[in-house]
Amino acid sequence: MTDAAPALDVRGLSVRFRMPGGRYVAAVSDASFRLAPGSCLALVGESGCGKSVLASALLGLLPGNADTAGSAVLPDGLDLLGAGEAVLARTVRGRRIGLVPQSPAAHLTPVRTIRSHLEEAVRELAHPSASAAARGRRAAREAVRAAAERAAERAAFPASHLDRYPHELSGGLAQRAATALALIGDAPLLLADEPTTGLDRELVHRTVDELRAHTRDAGRALLMITHDLAAAHRIADTVAVMYAGRIVETSPADAFFGRPGPRHPYARGLLDALPERAFVPIPGAPPELGALPPGCAFAARCPDADARCRTELPAPASGVACHHA
Amino acid sequence: MLELRDITAGYERRRPVVEGASLILRPGESLGLLGPSGCGKSTLARVAALLHRPDRGTVTVDGRTATGFRHRAPRSLRTAVGVVFQQPRLAADPRMRLRDLVAEPLRATGRRAEAAAAVAGLAERVGLGADLLDRRPHEVSDGQLQRACLARALVLRPRWLVCDEMTAMLDASTTAALVGVVEEYRADTGAGLLAVGHDPVLLRRWCDRTAHWKEITGPP
Amino acid sequence: MADPLTAPAWRPARGRRGRRPGRRASGLRLWVCAAVLAAAVLAVLLVPPLVRLDQQAVDLSARLLPPSPAHPFGTDDLGRDLLLRCVHGLRVSLLTGVVAALAATVVGTAVGAAAAALGGWTDRLAMRVVDGFASVPPLLLGVFAVALFRPGVWPVVVSVALTHWLSTARIVRAEVLSLKSRPFVDAAVSGGASRWRVTVRHLVPGVLPQAGLAAVLMVPHAVWHESALSFLGLGLPAHQASLGGLVQAGRGSLLAGAWWPTLFPGLFLIVPTLAVAGLAAAWRERLDPRRRSELIP
Repeated sequence: MTDAAPALDVRGLSVRFRMPGGRYVAAVSDASFRLAPGSCLALVGESGCGKSVLASALLGLLPGNADTAGSAVLPDGLDLLGAGEAVLARTVRGRRIGLVPQSPAAHLTPVRTIRSHLEEAVRELAHPSASAAARGRRAAREAVRAAAERAAERAAFPASHLDRYPHELSGGLAQRAATALALIGDAPLLLADEPTTGLDRELVHRTVDELRAHTRDAGRALLMITHDLAAAHRIADTVAVMYAGRIVETSPADAFFGRPGPRHPYARGLLDALPERAFVPIPGAPPELGALPPGCAFAARCPDADARCRTELPAPASGVACHHA
Repeated sequence: MLELRDITAGYERRRPVVEGASLILRPGESLGLLGPSGCGKSTLARVAALLHRPDRGTVTVDGRTATGFRHRAPRSLRTAVGVVFQQPRLAADPRMRLRDLVAEPLRATGRRAEAAAAVAGLAERVGLGADLLDRRPHEVSDGQLQRACLARALVLRPRWLVCDEMTAMLDASTTAALVGVVEEYRADTGAGLLAVGHDPVLLRRWCDRTAHWKEITGPP
Repeated sequence: MADPLTAPAWRPARGRRGRRPGRRASGLRLWVCAAVLAAAVLAVLLVPPLVRLDQQAVDLSARLLPPSPAHPFGTDDLGRDLLLRCVHGLRVSLLTGVVAALAATVVGTAVGAAAAALGGWTDRLAMRVVDGFASVPPLLLGVFAVALFRPGVWPVVVSVALTHWLSTARIVRAEVLSLKSRPFVDAAVSGGASRWRVTVRHLVPGVLPQAGLAAVLMVPHAVWHESALSFLGLGLPAHQASLGGLVQAGRGSLLAGAWWPTLFPGLFLIVPTLAVAGLAAAWRERLDPRRRSELIP
């Protein structure tokens, strides 16, 4: 454990959805992790395992039929799960947590230029005009414009493309525009939700390298949610593997992707499924989040499972939730 | 043979997305077509599946040159090429249960009687549980829906398969599972495969040979 | 580290809580509108057969009586009971409105779907026909349609349908065009589906919710169109009391200081049509994809 106060401290975070007929769907169960400033945690898992719900919970964007439990605390003691909409909107989103979205082209308003997006964010979040306002409105406008250009430069977005509309940008440039927006509020924590989906390999590498530069070098923390293990390998210091709503393993990235390798059988299976490795799928299918088994959720697909696995939920111990680790 | 010769295609006049693309697939062969996103490879995949009329060029399937595309293509030619798309959410009719989704091509071609048995067999093959077959697309995950979409592409037993970024939205295990299903089907039937994608590691592992977009387009 | 064996302390998700009252208000509106409409439909269905009073019964000794326990809505200038006349009028107006809206929706959906599904020349021709119809003021077109026939219910239905199918055709065409470019249609084509099958199995079912909403929204329009025709004396024959006819007949008594022959038929026209519009608004909210996607991740 690091001594510095974590940029995000998540303990026992759970989310469930109330469904018609009094049923519950346990989307996230008892997730805990700490994210140190300047480090990157990659949350990996297949689609539908609950990782996007976790991100929504951190940003207060859950729908009305959700219940939460546990806590997610920022360095100043604010619990994201207990905070009201007003606090989240005015002091958290964009200011203390920057969001790098999944599909940037859809995240940007189609009828406005990138410059207008950036300037709006600057006016809302950065207030560079406060001192300039004394020197008149013209000076204030100049200050906003300059700040927007600096923001674009920081994300390596070319100044020549600032007056273009989102649909005129390639996938890579749209991603940079979205990253530039996320960085404007100078939030100490970045949350990237599947930032590389649909991008080709070279673009994935570039996006990931840029995100990494914005975090490690700038002392920010990054929580990246992804199903792309290659992207996770390239960026993460720590890997957290999620399965059926639970974090089943948290390991340093070097150990996870190199030696000694992953410790949880699901994580091992996931890595073995990569085309550069064995390319063998994990047999079977994940359980329904609305009808989880009493024991380990992976037991039905696990080569090592025994009677205990089927009846007793393994508690996380030194980063792995497995009876046989 | 599946042969695309000098294809120029696009959605607006004088702004072609694909220019002068040619490729030849021998029976039973698998070709991985690599290219950056937005280069027009999805459009070429649609042309190969006879779903988009090219502005210029010819498509020949097993010696028969397509005289029309979409509904104008003879049904036997259209159904000789099965197709799987990148985004299962968009490729599935949101009102249909997965069972009907998979059986739809059989019903559309007047082979209703075979539907029940064929769906059961294919569901088993792609790894869809019986309880999932009675759900609608919004009640299953991307991976489960893509399994159903692959089953739908295989239900008419096509001689050719076009997979357009089939696994781009999927996790490693589901990717490996679906590629396994495709290869098992090809081993059974000797079908040929055109796999379009942007991941060289995956396509090199999957296909007999790979070609880069630059190699197949441009002046012949 | 939290102990996984203890039950977590659940609390409703914060953050978006501010949105909930809006949802409750919309639920209340839905119930009020449904109740009003149910009452109107029940009255229309049950009162005429159960109350064996003749709405046509003329009683010249009881002309233009103000509302009283015997005649809750008062009587008209021929001494006929206005409550009974209003219920009968609502029955005629609602019936013409619903039938006309249905007819217009069927025609509009068929034309719109066919135009979009076939494309090319068919589409261009169909849309020019729609534009042609739309260029004529609706009431004028309606008056023209009624004038071709003898007064009665069916000419009014034809008139309403003729002037109201255009918007449905446009909505349906736009929706079908947007559905047509989806990959699931590509998949159906690749699976050997014919043009007809693609249209009937994949395209039209996708637009039915929109078309249904358009139909419900059309009912108030149709009722008002019928009333306007009756008010102009072009609608139903005088013995078939429709709400528009009643308002028109009551107009003459206004000068005599009798407000009830105009007010009550007017209310009968306004309140149920507002209820239908309210129901349609609630339906539209349900169609909103943002709300549909909130069920589960």
